[in-house]
Amino acid sequence: MSRLPQPQNSPARSAAIAAALGAAVLLPVIVNRGLLEDFSRVFVLILAVLGVNLLTSTTGLISLGHGVFVGIGAFSMANLLDENIPVIVALVLATAVAGFAGMIVALPALRVRGPYLALITLGLSVIFPPIGRRLGKFTGSALGRSVNVDGFDPPDFLRLDDHPHIWNYVVCLMVVSVWFLLARNLLNSRIGRAIRASKDHEHAAAAFGVNLAMAKTGTFGISAAMAGTAGALQAIIDPYLNTNDYDWTLSLKLYTSAVIGGLGSLLGAVVGAVIYVGLPWLNEVLGLLDSPSLAFGLGLLIIIIAAPNGVVGLLTRFAKKPARSRRDG
Amino acid sequence: MDLFLQRCFDGLFNGAIYASLALALVMLFRATGLLNFALGEIGMVGGYTSLVMLTPAAVAGSGGAFRFPVAGTSLASRLPGHPYPVLVAIAVGVVASALLGVLLQRIVLYRLRNRSDFVKVNATIALLLALAGLVTELWGGASQRYPSVFPDAPTDYVNVFGGRLRYTTLGAWAVQLFLLLLLGILVNRTKTGLAFRAITSNAEAASLMGIPVQRTLAIGWAVSCGIGALAVSLVAASTILRPGMMVTVLILAFAAATIGGLDSPKGAVVGGVIVGLTQSLVPGYTPFPSELAVVPPFLVMTILLMFRPTGLFGTARVVRV
Repeated sequence: MSRLPQPQNSPARSAAIAAALGAAVLLPVIVNRGLLEDFSRVFVLILAVLGVNLLTSTTGLISLGHGVFVGIGAFSMANLLDENIPVIVALVLATAVAGFAGMIVALPALRVRGPYLALITLGLSVIFPPIGRRLGKFTGSALGRSVNVDGFDPPDFLRLDDHPHIWNYVVCLMVVSVWFLLARNLLNSRIGRAIRASKDHEHAAAAFGVNLAMAKTGTFGISAAMAGTAGALQAIIDPYLNTNDYDWTLSLKLYTSAVIGGLGSLLGAVVGAVIYVGLPWLNEVLGLLDSPSLAFGLGLLIIIIAAPNGVVGLLTRFAKKPARSRRDG
Repeated sequence: MDLFLQRCFDGLFNGAIYASLALALVMLFRATGLLNFALGEIGMVGGYTSLVMLTPAAVAGSGGAFRFPVAGTSLASRLPGHPYPVLVAIAVGVVASALLGVLLQRIVLYRLRNRSDFVKVNATIALLLALAGLVTELWGGASQRYPSVFPDAPTDYVNVFGGRLRYTTLGAWAVQLFLLLLLGILVNRTKTGLAFRAITSNAEAASLMGIPVQRTLAIGWAVSCGIGALAVSLVAASTILRPGMMVTVLILAFAAATIGGLDSPKGAVVGGVIVGLTQSLVPGYTPFPSELAVVPPFLVMTILLMFRPTGLFGTARVVRV
């Protein structure tokens, strides 16, 4: 059922990955500053969408609150940087804070079946902005706060002092790549198989000794940590934060993007992030709607009805139609 | 004591709203096993429709009670007798939401009838986002004043042992009890209700017995979404009508339904009261900030679920593996 990154190291696949990485590395040379910053933002979003994707595809849980973990990561990062903690350490700590918060949120979901987690996380994303405004010391209340990124200089040997955006881009690319590898390896490990088994058949998995509670909480924690890293990176790229930006529509858009992109594949997360950025952009260029929410909602509806495995599922089905196109049925 | 009663009465007003929405959620959940995340936004469409029906076209945007132009009033003003009294306008809104519910059931959920619960929940999440966008698109993001059916001047209250029991609270509970009565009659005394109960107990067997499953479900959607519009009019009259306001209300109604056990109408009402009271009493007697009044009901729900996963009145489901 759950189609996760199986180790399919076909030559074509390796070549595609190598080409994509090569293009990503060459990008700073090709495009101008504004576009490169946009690419950094997309990479960061890929990470957030991947977090949602990972959670839903491996456990079947629905989180409508990942925007909150993005926010927790971002504000943790900002406050850690205030203490003059080195950026890399702050990044790891912010990730850990978001992951820990995710595990606490996931705990009640273990007791109860059904879409309670969706409900609790939706509640969480509704109350995050007002809570944030209360904690003015950390968040700058309703006005928001700036992030102290002075300590985030490129190392001297790179000679990028005049091009901080390139350094931002490189860091984003590296961090996202590291998370990709971690996620991939984790899912193909013993833990990953246990998680998948618990989705496919809870009772059977439990009978085989899988600790369901641990599997679910752990996965939620990891996916929240991914969102937290995304938030922390966002805080570096756009060093101005406001709790109001992390409202429930953000969480819903993240979830929608993940499902539209395609659950259960890393490529789906990439497509999802592109949709997250591209849909509002397209909307603005075409001057269609005042609120992109409508576009996200309709997009998800169409995908649910027409393409069960998201855009990626649509593409792969199209690519290898004659062969076993519906082996997951 | 006065203050305590006052807070209880305030909580009871909100409790009535949560109870009615929870009732709508529970009704649909019993029949379909689906939690409708879009219920609040479907109700919003009806709420704005009623606003269009009661706003005079000429007055809109020129100050007074109607601060911002309401899209659609000039169109609606061609209807005979426009603008309508509040009660009629609300009725039109309820019908609009009910029709929208039927439409969505026909267009979206009917297509997904053989798909997993996960897909159906996703569909309602998509509808939540789409309808929230649609409401903003059609009527803008501005807050609109919304008149109350019940007398709501500062002097309109009954003095009960020093606490002010406002007419709006009494009215909200009158609506709530009326709904309960209506639903009770619908479910227990009509043929549709019988079909509904049959589907709730076993949809497949019901279908084999010749019960029109999808048509009955469409009626369920209509009633549920109509209640949604009614709840919107109550919320809007007590605060203000603005896009996105129902998300908070809906998750509290979810909490109420969950506390009650998700498949029990009695539980929905009790859950609504519990949520309403927690929301007004906890910030009142603890240093808990009042703008985070959403949190205590959720804590109550979470703690309750830890000890009683089926809620207060819910039936434990035996799942065959």
